[in-house]
Amino acid sequence: MSDSATPILSPDERHGARRAVWLWTAAALWLVGAVAGLWVLWAYENRPGVSANPPGRWPAETRLARSLQGPTLVLLAHPQCFCTRASLGELAEVLGRAKTPPKTYVLFLKPSGFFDGWEKTDLWRMASALPNVTIVRDDDGLEAQRFGAVTSGQTLLYDAQGELRFSGGITSARGHAGDNAGRAAVIALLDRKEPARRATSVFGCSLVAPPTES
Amino acid sequence: MSGSSRATQLFTEAQLDIYRRTDRLFAWLMGFQWLMGIVFALWVSPLAWDGPVSRTHLHVWAAVVVGGIISLFPALLGLFRPGLPSTRYVIGVAQMLMGALLIHLTGGRIETHFHVFGSLAFLAFYRDWRVLIPATVVVALDHLLRGMFWPQSVYGVVTASEWRWLEHAAWVLFEDVFLFVACRRSIAEMKQTADRTAALEREVRTRQEAENDARNARARNDAILDVALDCVILMDESGRIAQFNPAAELTFGYSAAEAVQTELAELIVPADKRESLRAALASYLTTGNTAILNRRLELTAIRKGGESFPVEIAIAPISSDGAKMFAAYMRDITERKRTERELASYTQDLETAHETQRKDAERLAALVDQLRVTQQQAETATRAKSEFLASMSHELRTPLNAIILYSELLQEVAEDDGSQSTIGDLQRIQSAGKHLLDLINGILDLSKIEAGKMMLSVEEFDVRAMIGELVDTVNPLVEKNKNTLTVRCDDEVRTMHADLTKTRQILLNLLSNASKFTRDGTIAVDVRRCMFDGRECVEFSVVDTGVGMTVDQTCKVFDPFTQGDVTTTRKYGGTGLGLAIVSRFCDLMGGSVWVESRPGVGSRFVVRLPMKMTDVFPESMTPAGVA
Repeated sequence: MSDSATPILSPDERHGARRAVWLWTAAALWLVGAVAGLWVLWAYENRPGVSANPPGRWPAETRLARSLQGPTLVLLAHPQCFCTRASLGELAEVLGRAKTPPKTYVLFLKPSGFFDGWEKTDLWRMASALPNVTIVRDDDGLEAQRFGAVTSGQTLLYDAQGELRFSGGITSARGHAGDNAGRAAVIALLDRKEPARRATSVFGCSLVAPPTES
Repeated sequence: MSGSSRATQLFTEAQLDIYRRTDRLFAWLMGFQWLMGIVFALWVSPLAWDGPVSRTHLHVWAAVVVGGIISLFPALLGLFRPGLPSTRYVIGVAQMLMGALLIHLTGGRIETHFHVFGSLAFLAFYRDWRVLIPATVVVALDHLLRGMFWPQSVYGVVTASEWRWLEHAAWVLFEDVFLFVACRRSIAEMKQTADRTAALEREVRTRQEAENDARNARARNDAILDVALDCVILMDESGRIAQFNPAAELTFGYSAAEAVQTELAELIVPADKRESLRAALASYLTTGNTAILNRRLELTAIRKGGESFPVEIAIAPISSDGAKMFAAYMRDITERKRTERELASYTQDLETAHETQRKDAERLAALVDQLRVTQQQAETATRAKSEFLASMSHELRTPLNAIILYSELLQEVAEDDGSQSTIGDLQRIQSAGKHLLDLINGILDLSKIEAGKMMLSVEEFDVRAMIGELVDTVNPLVEKNKNTLTVRCDDEVRTMHADLTKTRQILLNLLSNASKFTRDGTIAVDVRRCMFDGRECVEFSVVDTGVGMTVDQTCKVFDPFTQGDVTTTRKYGGTGLGLAIVSRFCDLMGGSVWVESRPGVGSRFVVRLPMKMTDVFPESMTPAGVA
């Protein structure tokens, strides 16, 4: 005995219902795939690089001369790192806002084996345009080693006595400009205020080659 | 379709068209954005570095893979399922996801954030504010989720207020409000446009219908005028011909091209009547006087060759687009006039003939009166004759009976006395007396029949018994000429309801004749039942092998005093009245008698009588005659 309450669909209606199910399934899969892809991107951009292990005092072996009258800021950068553009932008922000701009060095990695001038990218030019910034070529990353920096964008602030006051990144994520804890800390220190934090994550490319399997 | 339904239909169609076009636009935009994302990633961040070692940057893979995922599905929907709500909602979500991807590919540049606001404005192209909802939800969720998991990337601080994500979404909502208002206004304008378009369509349709109606009316009018048998001439208020139908061309001999724009009065009206016509038309135009309009008049018109002829005309005023015109309907009545004259002549002749006929009728009436008088005289004479015969029958029969009786007595005496010489004389006296008596009886019977005095005595009798008695009666006569008599009677014939005496008389006369005119032969009586004219009848046949008759003789044999020829009485005896009486008796009883005969072979007399006589004689009485 048939159920009189059950609607009987025509072939066209059944086809349409099946098509709707396929459509909604495809839409759901699409959405999941898109969100998953974005999630991977977001996770990457928010994954910091290896933090530095800098010396607590200005390294004696560095060929950089620190300021004896005030703080000295060193930013180590990979000339090809896209994310460091944001770090240089934040550096400009720091130098612009700080009441007492520090003596500033920007070191660009130059691995051996690359042609001369390889390091002189638009980041080099961007950094060169910053006022009172000394651009230094760091051959084979020796200075980076001396300062214990591993990740591009690593920023170190030493005071007039050569004591390390801040170590970390001055961006909120890879390549993302904007308010961030590192910039705020550096500005606070330059303004002789107590910063909320003295160390932050660094977002950028690695300054050292990946370990090879022996 | 009502106006509001049509407006709704137009609005829906316009709306659907916008949806479809915008879907296709976004389908191409999706592809473009995907491509631009790849180009940007390759340009800005193609490689990621680990010191001197490089690899393809994740941004490139993200641009290709994630960008492709985000772009392709909605692009396909936009191309193959345009106009559907699901398509534009998916596009709304995809556009904001693509914005999120581009923002991250560009490192969160503030300029790239304009893509979000620009995308919302683009989505407003649908003019469906509902599309903004999923797009706004995507933005809100992006900030909410990243704020939950990576707050520093969103807010620049590690810890942020739990409502901080709403601040970013609020800017999007701010734009949404304006876009919502813009969509609503746009929809309202579309509806107004649809209403106006529907109204315009109605107006155009009404005008087209009116034009079609006018065109059809003109076509019908022309068709009617073209096939009209009468002349139809349209003229303007100045009397100039505007239309001249084919019947008018045929009647007056002018073509329409010759007639149009010519004054009617000049063309077909006799010179002495033109001014009257002009004055009448002018009078109507100025005063409305319709003295000659809307009525039938008989006038004289002239054809092209100058020939004048009578016409019946009716002129009616008509209005056409405000202008006054006149329609003249004319008919050539030459033929009718001729017919009227002929009719008058015929009428005169008829009246004359009627007068003649009346006079003839008077003369006829006089003749009828005279005939009536003659008839009365004849009836008087017939009555006198009947009375004479009735009185004379007694006067004649009485002495005859005495003569016959006395001759029989004397014959007996002579036989007793042996006076043989007187017996012959006495026999001749007796025979002559009987013959005379038979003659008188026959004449009296005929007279009675002709006078209408013969009465019928109808009774039921047995036919076989009657035949039996007859046979006994005629046997001596049959044997006298050495004839043989045979009788055959059908079993179906039992009784008759008729006049027994007359039936017997009929058969007796026939058998007597057969016996007399047959020698050494056979006489056969055959009685059978038959149907005639829808009635049951009895047919009596008397067939003999006697002398027979010629055709001429059979024609006269039923007339009184007529026998075969003048020698028949001398040879065979008889009075010549027997068959006449048979014929009259048959007519009287509603029957018939006829004869078939061949000289030297014999004769066959057939009598047909109704089995049941009614008081009213049958309509179809077959008179005695020759078969």
